[in-house]
Amino acid sequence: MIEKGKISALQMGLLMYHAILATGILFIPATVFNVAKQDIWISPILASPLGFLSVYIAYKLNKYYPKDTIMQYSKHILGTFWGKMLGLLLLLLLITSLSVMFWQYGEYVVSEFLPHTPKSVIIGMMVILCAFAVHGGLEVLGRLAGMVFPVFFLLFLVIIILVLPDVEVKRMLPVMENGLMPSLKGAWVLCTWFAQFGIIYFFLPFLTDREKGLKFGMLSVLVVTLTLVVTNIIVIWLFGNVTENFNAPFMSASRYISLAEFLSHLESIVMAIWIAGTFIKLCVFYYVVVIGTAEWLNLSDYRSLVLPMGFLIGVFAMQAFLNSAEAAEHFRIVSHEIMDTLVYGLLIPIFLFLGAYIRKTIFKHKVRRTN
Amino acid sequence: MRRAIMIGVIFMAFVLLTGCWDRRETNDLAIITGVALDKNKEGQIELTAEIHSPGGSGNGSGGGEDNNQGGVQSTVLQIGKGSSIPEAIENLNEKLPREILWSHAEAIVISKAFAENGISDELDFFVRHPEPRLRSYVFISDGKAKENMALRPSLERSVSEALIKLAESEVLMKATLFDLMEMLKGEQGAIVLPMIDKLSPEEGQLPSESIAYIHRSAVLKQGKMIGVINDQISRGVLWFRNEINESIVTVEPDEADEIISMNLIKGRTDLVPEIDGQSLKMTVKIVTIDDVIQNQTSWDLKRLDKLKALENELVQKIEKRLTDTLDTVQKEMKIDIIGFGEEFRRHHPKKWKNIKGDWDEKFPTVQVDFDIDARVLRAGKGSET
Repeated sequence: MIEKGKISALQMGLLMYHAILATGILFIPATVFNVAKQDIWISPILASPLGFLSVYIAYKLNKYYPKDTIMQYSKHILGTFWGKMLGLLLLLLLITSLSVMFWQYGEYVVSEFLPHTPKSVIIGMMVILCAFAVHGGLEVLGRLAGMVFPVFFLLFLVIIILVLPDVEVKRMLPVMENGLMPSLKGAWVLCTWFAQFGIIYFFLPFLTDREKGLKFGMLSVLVVTLTLVVTNIIVIWLFGNVTENFNAPFMSASRYISLAEFLSHLESIVMAIWIAGTFIKLCVFYYVVVIGTAEWLNLSDYRSLVLPMGFLIGVFAMQAFLNSAEAAEHFRIVSHEIMDTLVYGLLIPIFLFLGAYIRKTIFKHKVRRTN
Repeated sequence: MRRAIMIGVIFMAFVLLTGCWDRRETNDLAIITGVALDKNKEGQIELTAEIHSPGGSGNGSGGGEDNNQGGVQSTVLQIGKGSSIPEAIENLNEKLPREILWSHAEAIVISKAFAENGISDELDFFVRHPEPRLRSYVFISDGKAKENMALRPSLERSVSEALIKLAESEVLMKATLFDLMEMLKGEQGAIVLPMIDKLSPEEGQLPSESIAYIHRSAVLKQGKMIGVINDQISRGVLWFRNEINESIVTVEPDEADEIISMNLIKGRTDLVPEIDGQSLKMTVKIVTIDDVIQNQTSWDLKRLDKLKALENELVQKIEKRLTDTLDTVQKEMKIDIIGFGEEFRRHHPKKWKNIKGDWDEKFPTVQVDFDIDARVLRAGKGSET
């Protein structure tokens, strides 16, 4: 096995929590609001089954091939050539996905906080930081997630509590004004986030307590769902119809806080949460890309790939889009029409799972016959 | 080698972590505390910025009329002109040696002439720009907005501070930028904003020593100002919107010719809409708790029957005020600034879809019932006279 380190199932759950939620917490309320209006808090609940399914499929595949990641068992299932081709497709999807995430990070920091700083510096520094963490290996990532999560969660709660004096519950009424359809459409948008849970297939082989993998995977989906529901409810209670005016409603909510005239301008707290969470998210995907490539190339160590991959991704991220319209076009096509996360998170695993299922049953038949 | 790299990295961090591209030193900033928006005769936007002046020694303002009378003056005025707000700001920037910081601009005063031409497009700037705050208070001024900014209030350090305090005291209408956005986004786009007037100066006072105060409210529809309501009607509107916080109610019982004044401790309004076929009905449920603060009548308020009678008077008084409000708002102006439409939408979403289209015609026909529960808790310390 290429990865020598091991993480606990809990650490895996935390890694996944950040990997999904870090960007979501800022952008999900506004994106979903466009279709679901005041019912945005229902959408995460409707979309969560997809997350559970992704985790379950990944877990099932891991049961068949306990010591392998997807790169290896795709070869076992489809044969070397098709397995490699599928692996290549997966890697390409993940590398574009990761580059876009780095771009998103840079774009947001530049537009909201540091307008005069060159984006290459912001992205470059994050790439270097992530490269250090990924170079440290999976155990380091697991520990980092364990460290960041309590801070993340605490600050999240602080923001929620401080927003409470300004909320008005009646802004979420009427519930389901136009039936279930708007929230279902919102759920469809959310699927792109929940499907990312599929990349758990890269972590399951490296667990110390494998039997708990499913439990903590599911728990992670559950906590992500709850966090999203709470965020969306708070946003809608606070902003109601005005939500659509903000790119990042949760950030605007923190700006809106003003307690006793001196406790205000708390957006730096949200920024801290967000940067910490995004750092973990980027590390997770960075690690997945690096270890996937190493396994795809049958290398003996993945660490030598960290820096070159970082350069590649950094350049991709800086050159990704010229302006926000191009980015919007990209998201429309890739995230909503092709649904790339759904492809690598759910469709490929399901396809492999069916293959594995057929193979194992046929293989079993053979075994029985020889007996 | 390895150590050399590590040291190199640490030193790089020192250089990079300073964030040199986006540094903003306080002494390079012009902190805007209030903004006034006017339209001049050529149709250009005039943006008057009230800028905090460090050290209180800034009497060298360029465009503002200031005559440094009201003690140490802590703000200076500067005007920028342009065909849009960003252009006006650019123009303002040319005249300022420092970089503008918007995040403390907490009072936005819009002139009546400006508001009559529509404010929704211009508001976009304040929403999109990352610095201005959603909690900034918005006012409409009767005359030129910049004239209000040129006043020198004696109690507060600057006009905007005085305006903010006025709005926060919640005696009359207050509206933040966020409230304004919400009203704009609402079903009807009906907006009420506090309106400030200049108090005519007392004898012996300089004109600039007068103060701006809120005593009316401006009514806007789809972002355009269409009318004004007085303070009594404004309070009625506050009752309907469940925003009443501070109020003195004075009743004059029929049997006694003198008056009793009460201080409102708590007032809560619930609107209960009903749709019955074609007819729309709204029940206004009010619970209010009051304390007596002045009793000029001969009533002994320690007696239960008198207290009950007083409570009845109070109910009638509130009902009268609300009916007056309805007469103005519903029958005369025919504009839903009291949030009936929202309530119908929230309680009867399905039926609302049918009436939404011709709400403007339907709104004046809504039948309103009152269900007022007034309680007088304390009769005050003074004994009967």
